[in-house]
Amino acid sequence: MSKLIKTFLFASIIFAPFAASAVTVASWGGAYTESQKKAYADTYTDPGAIVFENYNGGLGEVRAQVESGSVTWDVVDVLPSDAITGCDEGLFEDISAEIATSAAPGPDGESMLEDMENNGLEYHSGWDCCVPQIFWTYVVFYDPDAFPGEKPSSMADFFDVEKFPGKRGIHTWATGVIEKAMVADGVKPTAVPTVLANQTGAIDRAFEVMDRIKDHVVFWSAGSKPLELVKSGEVVMAIAYNGRVGAANLAEGENFEYIWEGQVLDQEYLCLMSGAPNRDQALDFMFHASTPEAQAEQAKYITYGPMRASGIPIIQNNEPWGPGGVDIMPHMPNTPERLAVSIVSDPQWWSDYGAEINERYSAWMGN
Amino acid sequence: MEVIISTAELLTTDGIPLKQSLKKAERRNKIRAFFLVFPLLLFIVVTFVIPIGDMLMRSVDDSQINTVFPNTFEEYKKWDKGEDDLPPEEVYKNLFLELANGDKRQIGKALTRMNYAKSGWKSLIKKTSREIKKIVKKGEEPLSYKDKMIEINKLWADPTYWYSFNQMVNERSSIYYWNALDRTYNEEGDVILQDEKRRMYIKTWIRTLKVSVYVTFFCLILGFPVAHLLANLPLRYSNLLMIFVLLPFWTSLLVRTTAWIVMLQQNGVINGVLVWLGILSDDGRIQMVYNETGTLIAMTQILLPFMILPLYSVMRVIPKSHMRAAQNLGAKPAMAFWRVYLPQTIPGMSAGGLLVFVLAIGYFITPELVGGKDGQLIGHWIAYHLKTTLNWGLCAALGSILLFVMLIFYWLYNKIVGIDNIKLG
Repeated sequence: MSKLIKTFLFASIIFAPFAASAVTVASWGGAYTESQKKAYADTYTDPGAIVFENYNGGLGEVRAQVESGSVTWDVVDVLPSDAITGCDEGLFEDISAEIATSAAPGPDGESMLEDMENNGLEYHSGWDCCVPQIFWTYVVFYDPDAFPGEKPSSMADFFDVEKFPGKRGIHTWATGVIEKAMVADGVKPTAVPTVLANQTGAIDRAFEVMDRIKDHVVFWSAGSKPLELVKSGEVVMAIAYNGRVGAANLAEGENFEYIWEGQVLDQEYLCLMSGAPNRDQALDFMFHASTPEAQAEQAKYITYGPMRASGIPIIQNNEPWGPGGVDIMPHMPNTPERLAVSIVSDPQWWSDYGAEINERYSAWMGN
Repeated sequence: MEVIISTAELLTTDGIPLKQSLKKAERRNKIRAFFLVFPLLLFIVVTFVIPIGDMLMRSVDDSQINTVFPNTFEEYKKWDKGEDDLPPEEVYKNLFLELANGDKRQIGKALTRMNYAKSGWKSLIKKTSREIKKIVKKGEEPLSYKDKMIEINKLWADPTYWYSFNQMVNERSSIYYWNALDRTYNEEGDVILQDEKRRMYIKTWIRTLKVSVYVTFFCLILGFPVAHLLANLPLRYSNLLMIFVLLPFWTSLLVRTTAWIVMLQQNGVINGVLVWLGILSDDGRIQMVYNETGTLIAMTQILLPFMILPLYSVMRVIPKSHMRAAQNLGAKPAMAFWRVYLPQTIPGMSAGGLLVFVLAIGYFITPELVGGKDGQLIGHWIAYHLKTTLNWGLCAALGSILLFVMLIFYWLYNKIVGIDNIKLG
């Protein structure tokens, strides 16, 4: 018996370094990571070389790994504000030179960065260390059965409890809510980031709009909650991640309607850890995962939009793109028509003001 | 017979004085004992002393930024703020040069720090740095660095940015503690209240304490009769009942929390039954979750076993004859309970109370899920700053305050009840 244990221990010491040679990608888990496995890892030249690990977002663990010098992750899936901070602080490696030479160009020869700009995005320092993944959005959705007569169709309706009585489901942090309130206040969606950056009173006005529904809000913090809230009739409308709504519609036979106006698009990136143990292969995988084809492939499994503009036509021209012959485009957040009424969240602004706004938001919630 | 009292020292068989030999043996034992507990000691140092020390250090440490902009800060300290709204040329010049020549990563880290002092620093410095790099590349040397920087970005003429330096110029500072209490420094460097709209830490602290005290109290009220019943039933029944206490204890925290949401929400089980019984109207359903009430209810249920188990083990060993004896001597049952039984359960109540209180004050996941609008506790903000803003200084300050609060309660407890009066069975 003890001999067996000894052999086992010995073997694990010998083989441990080999086991760790796979590229470790830290991502959010759940259906999202599943879709990444199918779209990126399974289509990669060596699927066995990619291992996914779950984490809870944020840069806490990334910074702890880099500062302590024991980096075990190679690639991290992060929000844009974390991409910016991580790149500025050197937690992620600057790969801008590699991106310029090795990232797959679009169909018309445009570079990857130009392809992203065609999608309404602007350069930020996160682009130096990371490659694009998908657009996900904070979108308002509702069950049409809850409104027998006129149905809500705008942000103004969402923030109007007299016209459409009933509770609203809103998340417990400020990103997305502020922008939507500004749209309800009459700001043109595409102009919201500019107004936020330049008008000091914009925030105050957004909070005034939010005051209108404050007593009619159920606050959620886990992504599955808004779906449950609407399904159970606890609220009549809710802000949710669009991928969750898409999954409910496509896989669970729900019939939820989206209000695309005022949806807040946020970005998602794969970044290379500074001191990643399998740097070269990790980089190779990152470039594979950021091709328009791979990004369109991911939309098959989760309704998040490719961040490269050239990914959209691939889906459009090949409908039904989803498994089981369903059309995906009705659930894609970043078609040109929808982008025209959407807000592309400004990660640099949130990285600057996020803490302050979130403290204020929390004080507002609790009052 | 003559008794010979030897004046010579007592010797052992191998000729060493007995005293010395004993000492030696004792020392050997001590060393052996030390090596026996050494792994434990090491474990405590590594997992306890070092992390807590590190946390306390971080809560007052502001040295990183001082190594990135040493000259700028040196000049800044010399600036007499009475004279002018804006700092003198020297400050601008040093910042310009330190931005031009500094290490990009170190500046990046400093930016994260500066942004806590005033929102907007990140963009301002990044944009300015880009322009400065261009100027330096061209080999230009501005006549006035001050004018040049204001030309690059007009925010350099905004004194509020400069005033925020007050929060960063010292390598050791208490600013994180002040921030954790809704306070900040003004332009003179005096402590003032944070902007009214942002004040929420004090409120959250009070709520955290309030919820912890309530949860402890409710656990005691609910746990005491249960423990009493368990302790006084014959073993075969009490074992069965014990399962009912332990089963939820062994069930996943997330499952229990989610179950409470199902029970408490407006279209949930409890509201449904009340409406069905006609106690509530359909429009009058009570909001019992996604607020402080939800946090209180869920936490009480989850922490209840931590009260019941120590109470039970203490009650178990209280002889039943005590109550009988008291009644025999003329005490009414209530009096006998109050004067004889209850005092003997104090060690159990103390142990359970402290356990529940300590767990409650740092609770995170349950309030996070059921807390909604006003049920978040201080753990929420520690997690937020740890992950999202990377403001580890503030995290450490919040954590340290939590530690101090605990120590105060511990001290109070020791004064009032006495720490040797605690018993887990």
